[in-house]
Amino acid sequence: MSWDDKDKPPRRGGAGGFDKIPDIPDFDLSKLKPPSLRSIHFVFMGMALFLLYMATGIYSVQLQERAVVLAFGKHVDTTPPGMHWNIPYPLGKVVKVRMEEIKKVEVGLRTGPTGLSHADLLKEAQMLTEGINMIDVQMSVQYQIKDPAQFLFGVSDPQLDRNENPRYGSVRMISDEGLKFTVRNVAEAALREVVGSSPIDDVLTVGRSKIQQEVHELMQRILDIYGAGVTINLVQLQDVFPPEAVKESFHDVNNAEEDMNRLIRDAEGYSNAIIPQTRGKAAQIVAEAEAYSAQKVNMAKGDALRFDSQLTEYIKAPEITKKRLYLETMEIILGKVDKTIIDSESLSSLVPLLSLGQSRGSKRQALPKTTQPSEQESGR
Amino acid sequence: MNLKSILTALAPVLLVVVVLLGSDTFFIVNENEQAVITQFGRFVRKIQEPGLKYKTPLLQSVIYYDNRLLDHDVQPQEVVTKDKRTLVVDNFSKWKIVDPEKFYKRAKTEKVAEERLRDIIYSELRQDFGAHDLNEIISAKRVDLMRLVTERSNAKVLELEMGVEIVDVRIKRADLPPSNQQAVFNRMRAERKRIARQFRSKGDEEAQKIRATTDKEKVIILAEAYKTEQEIRGKGDAESIRITAEAFGKNPKFFEFLRSLEAYRTAISEQDSMVLTHNSPFLKYLKEP
Repeated sequence: MSWDDKDKPPRRGGAGGFDKIPDIPDFDLSKLKPPSLRSIHFVFMGMALFLLYMATGIYSVQLQERAVVLAFGKHVDTTPPGMHWNIPYPLGKVVKVRMEEIKKVEVGLRTGPTGLSHADLLKEAQMLTEGINMIDVQMSVQYQIKDPAQFLFGVSDPQLDRNENPRYGSVRMISDEGLKFTVRNVAEAALREVVGSSPIDDVLTVGRSKIQQEVHELMQRILDIYGAGVTINLVQLQDVFPPEAVKESFHDVNNAEEDMNRLIRDAEGYSNAIIPQTRGKAAQIVAEAEAYSAQKVNMAKGDALRFDSQLTEYIKAPEITKKRLYLETMEIILGKVDKTIIDSESLSSLVPLLSLGQSRGSKRQALPKTTQPSEQESGR
Repeated sequence: MNLKSILTALAPVLLVVVVLLGSDTFFIVNENEQAVITQFGRFVRKIQEPGLKYKTPLLQSVIYYDNRLLDHDVQPQEVVTKDKRTLVVDNFSKWKIVDPEKFYKRAKTEKVAEERLRDIIYSELRQDFGAHDLNEIISAKRVDLMRLVTERSNAKVLELEMGVEIVDVRIKRADLPPSNQQAVFNRMRAERKRIARQFRSKGDEEAQKIRATTDKEKVIILAEAYKTEQEIRGKGDAESIRITAEAFGKNPKFFEFLRSLEAYRTAISEQDSMVLTHNSPFLKYLKEP
């Protein structure tokens, strides 16, 4: 009976063996007191020790963790959060890996404290583009553990001096720093590979998202080949700028582009001012012409109407009307001009004295050549 | 009784001996490990599967090796390309122990293996880089070159029978040495100058085009306006001529008379003088009533 009990826990494993610990000793001790007390003590002490040992195989996995379970060194299971049991140490091992944690490596910059000098960082950021141009690129990469077993058994930790510790012994978690080392190397290699085949102007301006995408894919591919058990979440180009030595020239290109745009804008401004102005002027010309035309036509119509009415009256009494019109006109004309009435016989002798040109006074002064101021008096 | 007491006294000692022998017989090879069993330094067998293993106690010993991908990172080295440019190449490689037996026999430690790897990879790098121009190495052929170096290095490593495989050789950085950088900077500056000039001339060109087009349009608009103007004025003139001609045509003589009178009225002004003879019809009654 006691043998049965002893055998059960290891065979069945799990929580079953654990459950029996409080039960069995109480029950058996009260019942089996009379026979040899000593041997029974030994048996139960051994049993209790064994069960206690088995109980040390219980472990709990936190919410953001996964546990990689080894039995006799072999990876047998990867367990989710909760309570679990495994063969106790040293036969079995449980390594817990934090999964949710998002880790970060940076190329060409460090946001946290760093032992690197500015020059070192600059060297890290500096790379060659297509056509052998130099450029500084700062990038940050976020990654996460994808497969805890791969993460543990895929890539060794380069930070550990393995030559001094040839026995890796316990399954040591590859440290964060060790993983970072590999991811950073891959990040640098991938970034330089992608930038190396892109023209500098693309890297500086429009090609950034494409470069991020390509670096992301390339890094994931390389890390998968390595079996690192890592997922790249995000690749971000932080800052991309030309090297200090040529910065001025790049600025000048920007200025030149602005100059170009300004020149074009100015010209467009000129155009925008001139064209409407000209259209306005054209409209004015046409309007004036239309006004002239209308005026001309209406005046003609007026003249025609007037003539018609005059004609109607004229036809009624032609001779009288004609005479009257003539006299009226002469009345107006002779009413305002200087008049000289002479005998028609002496006309020819008088003509030279009249100096007709002079009689119009200042208006005609420039025309006659032989005029005297005194003659103006006599003209009158 | 006597024997029993001796046994009782010896029991702990025996237990210790059994435990010691047991722990020297059984051992665990973890998932991330592989191992070789040696006897007085001589290879006996290799273990590449994880699990509970055994060996002869006392006589044999276990040497564990890493089963994972190992890193090999070297200091940057100078490499000369085909077009005689110097490149400072910083590469790293990933390798693994595939056969612990060969590894134990030929290398023994990772340190030794890595020294061999460094020499092989460097010589392959130098050879392949020396066969290509800088431009190809940086851009077009980079991936191919890396694969080639990996494959060739691997072949060489295989020949050495170290039980090692190179999984990947990758250029981390390939930079120009500072002395060569200056030339690149100069070229970049010249290139930028060219682009800047191009922008400015393009600005001039576009601006001129716009201005010229504007001026052209201005002339055209005004010319069209002139055309319309003359057309309208002409029509007005024609219409007025037609209207008056039609009206005056009813009695040309009377028109002539009227128009003459009107002309006299406007043509003769206050400043004018008139000489009339007494024969003038207007003065007819002045002579003799």
